Amino acid sequence: MDNSERDESFEAFRKSFSYGDRNDLNFKFFKGLSDDDAASFLQTMLDQLGDAFDTGDVQPLIEAAIQAQVAGYTPGPDAPPPTFAYDHGPFTPARIPVADARVGLLATSGHFVAGDDPEPFGETAMTQAEAIERIGEFISESPVLSEIPSTTPTSELRVRHGGYDIRSAEMDPNVTFPIDRLREAHDDGRVGSLPDTFFSFPGATSQGRLRKVLPGWVARAHEESIDVMLLVPV
Amino acid sequence: MCHVSVGHVARALEESGIPTVTVMVKAFEHRAREMTLPRTVIVRHPMGRPLGAAFDRVRQSEVVLASFQLIETASESGTIVELPHTYRPNPSLP
Repeated sequence: MDNSERDESFEAFRKSFSYGDRNDLNFKFFKGLSDDDAASFLQTMLDQLGDAFDTGDVQPLIEAAIQAQVAGYTPGPDAPPPTFAYDHGPFTPARIPVADARVGLLATSGHFVAGDDPEPFGETAMTQAEAIERIGEFISESPVLSEIPSTTPTSELRVRHGGYDIRSAEMDPNVTFPIDRLREAHDDGRVGSLPDTFFSFPGATSQGRLRKVLPGWVARAHEESIDVMLLVPV
Repeated sequence: MCHVSVGHVARALEESGIPTVTVMVKAFEHRAREMTLPRTVIVRHPMGRPLGAAFDRVRQSEVVLASFQLIETASESGTIVELPHTYRPNPSLP
């Protein structure tokens, strides 16, 4: 864009990384930083990049980004109370060792099996870019739970989720949907058994509508005789 | 939003008699506390990579096994453990 046509504030710059014209799901937390914190983060990243020119060590850059994500998402003392907060949580003690248990997997990763696309909003072959563009619809609609046979080869898994950077999950589904790691744990005797079916859905969804469908999802978990559920939000 | 969704899934499963454990990146630890999740393993990994870097099988397994351990050791809801590892990009990408 011609600079003469753009008089952009730093605040607008920050916010453009969260579903704006610079959208970047790794750095959408910029929106939640103060101007001073965002400026400090950028300065730190550039300084450490300068170091990396000589050392080749990008670990400090990665650590700075992780720390900034924590700062960007953790509510400050003046933040409004969260919409969903519970003083007490239900708790079911483990009845048997995991080595004897049937261990299920449910992730909000947005994985599905090739050929079994949940087709959000009736759209066939929705791309990741389209999912990002339609994130507002996802968070106001009912979630669709994808059933994934626990024997599915990772090469048959697909992923789409408008709320996070899926590049890593596309390379290796196990970063958000640890299907191979659970199979290995079973092979090693650390898990008693695996159910026929694992589950995934895009967790960016309407909480009210999610709670309406949850009884059906819980029933499916019991149908699979799951003793313990591993949950992975992204 | 995903972390709130999982919070509601965890509550529903626990109420039905299925114990749960959640793997959560540090940036969303506050969600685990706000929603009093039953058992949470916190990892100092970037968003979108809760189990570790792509093809980092060792780290991914460590996170899974730490989750299994927490299933067996937690005695009350709201139990949170943080793993000490720092994130490492895998040097052996295929």
